[in-house]
Amino acid sequence: MINVLWLRSSLWSRVVVYFLLISAVVFTLLPFLWAAVNSIKTSADTFLPGAVIPFVNFQPTLDSWRGVLEDPQVENAFVSSMVVSLGTTIFGLILGVPAAYALARFRFPIGSNDIALWFLSQRVLPPAVVLVPFYLLLVHLRLIDTWTGLIFCNSTFNLAFAVVIMRDIFRDVSTEIEDAAKVEGARPWQVFWKVSLPLSVDGLVVTSVLIFAFTWNEALFSAALTSQSATTFSALVLASRSTRGVDFNVASVNTLIGVLPPVILYFFVQRYLARGLSFGAVKG
Amino acid sequence: MAAVAVRRREYGAVFKYVLLLPAVIWVIAFTFLPLISVIQYSFANYVLGEGITGYVGFANYENVLTDHRFWHSIMVTAIYVVVTVPVEVVLGFLAAWLVSLGAPGSRGFRTIIGMPLFALEVAIGYLGVTMFSSQGGVVAVVLGLIGIHIPWLSTPAGGISAAIILDIWRWTSFVFLIVLAALGSIPSDLYDAAILDAKNHWQVMWRIGLPLAWPVTTIAILLRIVECLKVFAIPYALTTGGPGASTEVFSATDYLTTIQFFDFGKGSAMGIVFLIMVAVIITVFFRQMRKALD
Repeated sequence: MINVLWLRSSLWSRVVVYFLLISAVVFTLLPFLWAAVNSIKTSADTFLPGAVIPFVNFQPTLDSWRGVLEDPQVENAFVSSMVVSLGTTIFGLILGVPAAYALARFRFPIGSNDIALWFLSQRVLPPAVVLVPFYLLLVHLRLIDTWTGLIFCNSTFNLAFAVVIMRDIFRDVSTEIEDAAKVEGARPWQVFWKVSLPLSVDGLVVTSVLIFAFTWNEALFSAALTSQSATTFSALVLASRSTRGVDFNVASVNTLIGVLPPVILYFFVQRYLARGLSFGAVKG
Repeated sequence: MAAVAVRRREYGAVFKYVLLLPAVIWVIAFTFLPLISVIQYSFANYVLGEGITGYVGFANYENVLTDHRFWHSIMVTAIYVVVTVPVEVVLGFLAAWLVSLGAPGSRGFRTIIGMPLFALEVAIGYLGVTMFSSQGGVVAVVLGLIGIHIPWLSTPAGGISAAIILDIWRWTSFVFLIVLAALGSIPSDLYDAAILDAKNHWQVMWRIGLPLAWPVTTIAILLRIVECLKVFAIPYALTTGGPGASTEVFSATDYLTTIQFFDFGKGSAMGIVFLIMVAVIITVFFRQMRKALD
């Protein structure tokens, strides 16, 4: 934080800065507040624009929360999203972290940067383009409408995060510590598993949160490759958008439920997050 | 001793490939092979239940290239990218600059302004239906107070605008978080020097903040372009492509062609045409990323 600039600021510019920051906060929070207020209204009250403050303008009710939470479909979808997001995170790390370590530590016939970029290039491919082969492959493997099928698809597109971010993290682990371990007689895999990995826990946590959040948010595969048993929360929201139409209550409760898991994770890791988001370009 | 060293080296040589290859094989199996199969399907006549019944040359491509709906979706996607990315970058950068000034309470500001990145896009799109609704939607009500009535969701222009506003809300936080970290890593003595001959904050930002945070900002821009070209959740949840197909982005058109209408041949050809179109952008993207990574 650049306190120098703030300390040298005039009162006038301090007022302007606070005004702009508060505007940004209002803009950011508005949809959340709108969802919160509408989630505790009766559906009749949602059409009264003046009804803003609970108990004063309208009588709050938990009916729409109850309605959504008691719906077994919602519960299943929430569990599906959890399992798929966690599964993708774990699988993505298992595949990506060793590769990241190899790229950070060893020389290959092709440059480490080129290989990292090759992994990153998958993010360019729109999921919609490979929908046909993925669909047919999952049908063939009998993995259509299963958690495993979704975990496979999402891992493919999130692997790049694990490789590129963790490569950068491993590069910062001092080679001296590794060399010391080697002198002690540690084998390469022991150096990786017992020395470098424990020193990179920050990076692992950030990578995990990003993969989790991106998978949680994913809607195209979820909608196309599930029909019932593995329907994720995002696919369910998309479906209720078409079946229920404009339902203020359902939209609001869904928004708040859907936001919760990734936002909670965000609160814990926000300080380290930028490094992962920029694929390691920001040194944290 | 020498033999042991050689065996060690060989072990190391094998070990690095054991670490790297599973990920490489996975990518080849699930990105490159599917892509080859998309090319194959784009030349095929596919019948649901029977599979490929024959090859039809460029008929699928002809079908795509003469399809008004496809071209319209490309145009909508292009508008979407051209408007959202610059706005998100400018707003994200400004917000990051303001927070990085270190006013009391900055941590709280950072937490809140970064939050939308973790909001579920389809839910935000659905919520947008209520916010932009002409009956009691907050946007319509607030604008109505100052006498502005915009038919958001019943017209193509209104629908795209609403989706763009929600996208800006969601993704500005992405640029914000990245730029904030870049600004935070600028040594503070640079500011000490700059502040002596700068008239105001604005000048310090232009002379120090922007140039030093620029390399990282370019990455944010490129990542936004790449992700934005794939956009699906927000516009589709908001308008389901309507009225008609007027607000359908490319991913939505391809999704509907493949999964709703099961026209795998046309859907595949559509994907290939789109990929060729973005090839130019991808090339630029790689060149920039490479510079940044080196």
